[in-house]
Amino acid sequence: MNKLIYFILIFILKWNGLNAQSICFNPMFVGSKLVLNKKYFMANSTDSIQIETLKFYISNMEFYKNEQLIYKEKNSFHLIDAADSSTFNLPINFLSKTFFNQIKFNIGIDSITNYGGAMGGDLDPTKGMYWTWQNGYINFKIEGKSNLSIAKNKEFVFHLGGYQNSFSTLQTIQLPIQNSEVISINMAIDKWINEIDLDKQNHIMSPSKEAVFLSNKLSTIFSVSK
Amino acid sequence: MKIKTIVISCIIFLLFAFVSEDDFLFTTPKNWPKPVYNFKKNQLTDSKILLGRVLFYDPILSRNNTISCANCHSQYTAFTHVDHALSHGIDDRIGTRNSPALMNLAWHQSFMWDGAINHLDMQALAPISHHDEMDENIKHVIEKLIASKIYPLLFYNAFNDSTITGENTLKAISQFMLILVSANSKYDKVKRMEETFTNQEENGYKLFKQNCASCHTEPLFTNMEFNNNGIPIDSLLNDIGRKRITQNNQDYLKFKVPTLRNIEFSSPYMHDGRFKRIFEVINHYTNIQKSKTLAKQLQKPIILSSNEKVDLTAFLLTLTDKDFLFNPKFSFPKEVLLK
Repeated sequence: MNKLIYFILIFILKWNGLNAQSICFNPMFVGSKLVLNKKYFMANSTDSIQIETLKFYISNMEFYKNEQLIYKEKNSFHLIDAADSSTFNLPINFLSKTFFNQIKFNIGIDSITNYGGAMGGDLDPTKGMYWTWQNGYINFKIEGKSNLSIAKNKEFVFHLGGYQNSFSTLQTIQLPIQNSEVISINMAIDKWINEIDLDKQNHIMSPSKEAVFLSNKLSTIFSVSK
Repeated sequence: MKIKTIVISCIIFLLFAFVSEDDFLFTTPKNWPKPVYNFKKNQLTDSKILLGRVLFYDPILSRNNTISCANCHSQYTAFTHVDHALSHGIDDRIGTRNSPALMNLAWHQSFMWDGAINHLDMQALAPISHHDEMDENIKHVIEKLIASKIYPLLFYNAFNDSTITGENTLKAISQFMLILVSANSKYDKVKRMEETFTNQEENGYKLFKQNCASCHTEPLFTNMEFNNNGIPIDSLLNDIGRKRITQNNQDYLKFKVPTLRNIEFSSPYMHDGRFKRIFEVINHYTNIQKSKTLAKQLQKPIILSSNEKVDLTAFLLTLTDKDFLFNPKFSFPKEVLLK
């Protein structure tokens, strides 16, 4: 039913000459699309890595034209799951033919929303992106295996989150973009993994200085695909 | 005469038409602060409260369907666990903290002894997921609810939608917890001039205001703050309190100030349940050992004679609210769960 409404909406927008577009987030690994559970080798070494889980929130999408806010998505919370490529594509329905040259969004969930109680959709706590012993959303979750990890089964687990004061892990990303039907944003996951000494650090599962450090590094892995 | 009756009926009808349902389901007691819970985002209805109550009493929330919220939060003991210093969960596992008494939760901004939870809706997730409590996860709980005989209808009645979600489950549990208001103790009746204290209770109240009220502030009998009340750390539990959450040394050994309402029934006391009797608690406060983060309210020694201790206890017993402890609206919903 929701899908039907969505298609009707798209149809009406198109009919009126209005603009429907989408933003696509592509998790990448060494230059090509990330394949979960595939054994990758790190640059110039025999060290291997497999990503088994990659889930993260994109929120608060805003579109700018020369620093001026043109459009802000309402209720903008999207859970992207590398295991489900249908979550990569985020349709945006502008109210008019809109020109913009910059996009701004957050990786993770802002603190006001973290204080907001039970929520549905992608924010439903059944999505596996919510901490229960000390509550708050997990902004970015990556799990896998590497021969470098000294943990059981050579696993690594990084759940980055935290919204309070000095442990805030929310990241705001700004990218220059151009109008087109599909705006593709690549995320170089390998670049981020390279920031971690997997032989020394193989897990983060609570708000901490380390989570803040690694979250800050996330801001460097986004680029607009040409 | 007839016209007058019609006019009055109309006025009464209009009055009821404009008063929303939740005004009847939840009322702020006179002279109490405004609740902090945002009822607009989760409007109370009878059917949602019933659903929440059924969930509260149903062991379906635990991994092997043996432990319900009520196991550690029993109504007759002010929704805490009598005779259990530490929470006692699934497979006879024992937790590290005393299960808190549940009442007047609509006025709380944070939950748990260390304030780890920032919203009532999210509170239930902690015991559901805790290894020593229910050892379950919310996703699996929802699957069990969908497959159950009773819940699809209860959710449909509550939300006009038989799709069961984590959001609706948590909101329903909140609704039941929100109506657990205790405001009809002898103390409350005295405040409303319906009853009077005995001389002993009156003297106890005076001593209470001088020595205890700065933290156990009326009318909720907690200031909602986190404090180190001077009890030495238990070397086995090694519980550092709020510091675990904030990672701030200033919060070392600080725990949330609990309410004193229904204290007669909520034994044992303190975050680790180390005191069984009220007199042990009072003796602790008259014998404080100084420590680095000790509450400023406890810096000056509290001196009470043995008679004064008895009077203070007499006052504390006026905080017992039998209407709350035995309210059938809060009890096991046998009409649903034993069907």
